[in-house]
Amino acid sequence: MTNATAASATARPSFVPRLVRRAQRLAETQTVLFTIVLVAVVLLVLLPVISLIAYSFVESLPNQPLRIGFDAWRHAVESPLIMGSLLNSVLLLLAIHGISLPVAVVIAWVLARTDLPFRNGFEFMFWVSFFMPTLSILMGWILCLDPEYGLLNKLVELLPFVDKGPFNIFSFWGIVWGHLASHSITVKVMLLTPTFRNIDSSFEEASEICGANRFTTLLRIMVPAVTPAILAITLIAMIRAMQSFEIEMVLGTPIRLYVYSTLVYALTGQEPPDFGAASALATIGLACLLPLIFAQRWLGLRRQYVSVSGRMKSAPIRLGRWKLPVLLAICLIVLMLTAIPMVFLGLTSAMKLFGFFQIPEPWTFAHWKTVFADETFRQSFVNTLQMAGGAALVAVVLLSLVAYFSVSSTFKARAALDFLSWLPAAVPGVLFSLGLLYVFLDIPLLRPLYGSMALMIIAAVVGGMTLGTQIFKSTMLQLSRELEEASTVAGATWLRTFRSVVLPIVVPTVLLVGITIFITAAREIASVALVASAGTKTLSLLQLDYMIQGSYGPAAVISFIVIAMSTGLALVARAVGLRIGLRN
Amino acid sequence: MADDGALSLRGLTKRFGAFTAVDAIDLDVRPGELMALLGPSGCGKTTTLRMVAGLEQPTSGAIRFGGNTFISTTDEVELAAHKRNIGMVFQSYALWPHMTVHENVAYPLSVRRIASAEIKRRVAAILEMMELSALAAKTIPQLSGGQQQRVALARALVYEPSLMLFDEPFSNLDTNLRANMRMELKSLRRRVAMTGLFVTHDQAEALSIADSVAIMNGGRIEQIGAPQDVYKRPATKFVRDFMGRVLSLHGMYDASGGDSRIRLSDGTLLSCQASRAEPGSRVEVSIRPEYVKFDEIGEPARANTVTGMVEELLFTGDRFETRLRIAGEAVFTELPSDRPWREGDAIRLHLPMSALSIWSILDGK
Repeated sequence: MTNATAASATARPSFVPRLVRRAQRLAETQTVLFTIVLVAVVLLVLLPVISLIAYSFVESLPNQPLRIGFDAWRHAVESPLIMGSLLNSVLLLLAIHGISLPVAVVIAWVLARTDLPFRNGFEFMFWVSFFMPTLSILMGWILCLDPEYGLLNKLVELLPFVDKGPFNIFSFWGIVWGHLASHSITVKVMLLTPTFRNIDSSFEEASEICGANRFTTLLRIMVPAVTPAILAITLIAMIRAMQSFEIEMVLGTPIRLYVYSTLVYALTGQEPPDFGAASALATIGLACLLPLIFAQRWLGLRRQYVSVSGRMKSAPIRLGRWKLPVLLAICLIVLMLTAIPMVFLGLTSAMKLFGFFQIPEPWTFAHWKTVFADETFRQSFVNTLQMAGGAALVAVVLLSLVAYFSVSSTFKARAALDFLSWLPAAVPGVLFSLGLLYVFLDIPLLRPLYGSMALMIIAAVVGGMTLGTQIFKSTMLQLSRELEEASTVAGATWLRTFRSVVLPIVVPTVLLVGITIFITAAREIASVALVASAGTKTLSLLQLDYMIQGSYGPAAVISFIVIAMSTGLALVARAVGLRIGLRN
Repeated sequence: MADDGALSLRGLTKRFGAFTAVDAIDLDVRPGELMALLGPSGCGKTTTLRMVAGLEQPTSGAIRFGGNTFISTTDEVELAAHKRNIGMVFQSYALWPHMTVHENVAYPLSVRRIASAEIKRRVAAILEMMELSALAAKTIPQLSGGQQQRVALARALVYEPSLMLFDEPFSNLDTNLRANMRMELKSLRRRVAMTGLFVTHDQAEALSIADSVAIMNGGRIEQIGAPQDVYKRPATKFVRDFMGRVLSLHGMYDASGGDSRIRLSDGTLLSCQASRAEPGSRVEVSIRPEYVKFDEIGEPARANTVTGMVEELLFTGDRFETRLRIAGEAVFTELPSDRPWREGDAIRLHLPMSALSIWSILDGK
């Protein structure tokens, strides 16, 4: 005992200063790196938002001396188009979530708590549907519900006494349908199913023992118990919905039904662009989002109801005679989310004239040949790979540092960094890309990047910033400092520790973030639409062009390719994610 | 209700894949009787209870209560859990956190569509009885463990169920509170007649609360009997060891000359009651520690004493855990803490003949 004390006392003079010196050196590199990351994030995230707001007070046109005023705001408040677009946004929001929420609650409960056959398979299908690109799903449904050529309309017209099919996807309810059929239900089911699964099953059992039937139990015990979680999920879904762009763009623009994101796009796309009005509208949109974001954070902080138990899970609730109807209903919903639009895409991509089965030899590979022979397609394909690949690389480096600094550094500004990493999730992609546009036009040093692939990559990285940072953070929180320390104490050098302990834990996450960013970037529309130039157009943007022009054949072919790319990579990401034990 | 309130389990079996959790058990609970299902974890006691509740479906077998068939796999009859009119207290209490105490207790009445004035009256009455009236407006997270326990009981009793089920209800309470709750349940039973099953892995709890005890092991019932019987006359070694500590020694069973005796390896002879064991075979002789007397070494030895040495002593407060060496054997038992035992001391144990039981080494009977 005394010997050991003496030994350590003699060791201390040489050992401790060395440690301190090393720590200081490390801190210096850390500080430099932290500053670089912080500046980059401020430049790419905060500045665009500030410019967005600031530009609403600029009255002068570009290339004119600066003039400040409230013209844009006056114009915005008086314009029926602008105010109407905000009203449309709110009405759509209410309609979409009013329908999708109850449906998703029931589906999630059935998947999590009952003995529905194939429920794991269904859960997987919802997950697949999550990775299906919105635009491609939408394409499939347009082919089905187009007022002139929609196959469902044609089918109804075969009935006697019906001259004209009843469906028109280019309408308010068409937009609602587009949301329901793409991600509105899916996202909620994915978030709610684990919540329902984690509730202590004895809550339910106690209710049954007390004499309540299953429906009463669902209504009076389960729903109230998960209400805070449902509310939080609804808020997230609403924030996401405020960012939705492509469905409204494709379905609303032809009938001049604007929501605020499509109107922002239209205002900046017209000649001459009305940046002031666009910015004023964007600022109002942001202001509408603020209460939602605060409500969501507040709920997140005081989540107390959902109690998770490690006890044996009860036998799933038996559906009994409800089994078949429920099975059929969920089957139908899953098919509508995945297979049905795919079938229509397939048909269309192989038809000479979309919707005309009666012509001799209606089938053809011409669209596939045309698309593959098309130089624009090839260019867009290369652009997509460049942008998505570049974004994945940049994101892995930048976001891992952002996550590291906000989890395990002691810098005072790390809270700011953490906040900034959340900001892109709250600001709609179109607004962000408008803000980025301002920043890259106004800062002379950055101006050469305007219209280049680099700007596309930056836009894509910012678009995926919140998700990527969160994935990194969750891994780094697991990577307790003690794991590294244990390795050091065991006699490993810093390099050996990094190689044998840190790297094996972090590598799968790097892969996962890389793939996730690649997928989101490859199918991204909203956050790159405004920064793309003719030379940097991606497949998704090309697909959007074809759809707006009404060239359904080539659009269907590209939809297929985008779907194949994203779901294929999503499966890889899932395999990686499961291996590192990360869910959702 | 008199004789129609009996619970009977016949050939009740539950398999999870290849694993048999409950293996063809038969069980009868008389009206007004509270039976404890006692056993180590994984013995099938909770699964049995959950099958009675209707929360788990048996692979085969039948459960009947009074005139009702809860389930019968041969007749393909099943009564849903919510139609069985059962009261159940869960291990986690399963009190709904989004409701107040009053709302939790009122819930079973409200799902039975009872008029709200009547609900108010009955909830008030049961809360009064459980001394919870002052807490009626509180939410569940505001209550202590013991209070939550009483709310769970109130909720299970308020609709006067014909059968009560308890799933380790006291296992989340600390030792003192647990003893209090046992007392409360005992006195409650004097005021409220209940037929029921009580699952526990705590033998003291089973012995103190229940009218009869069924000891389960590996999905089967090893013994059913009154608490005193299963403790004093265990039918199997498993029951003997599970019901409490024993001191056991090995020797040769000797039935020559009409007397039954055990000869230990050092030649010591212990008289015992006649056993089914084969004369001349190796047997285990065991005794509950509380029947062992400690004689002074200096005095002349009386009959049925063994001498040994204290090898290890662990002081645990109210007693010593110890390892003795007797006739060359290591023997684990406990010693009263009122004497100054020391390691290395010689020790003389008197083992009264009436308290000894003989177990043949081969079959464990």
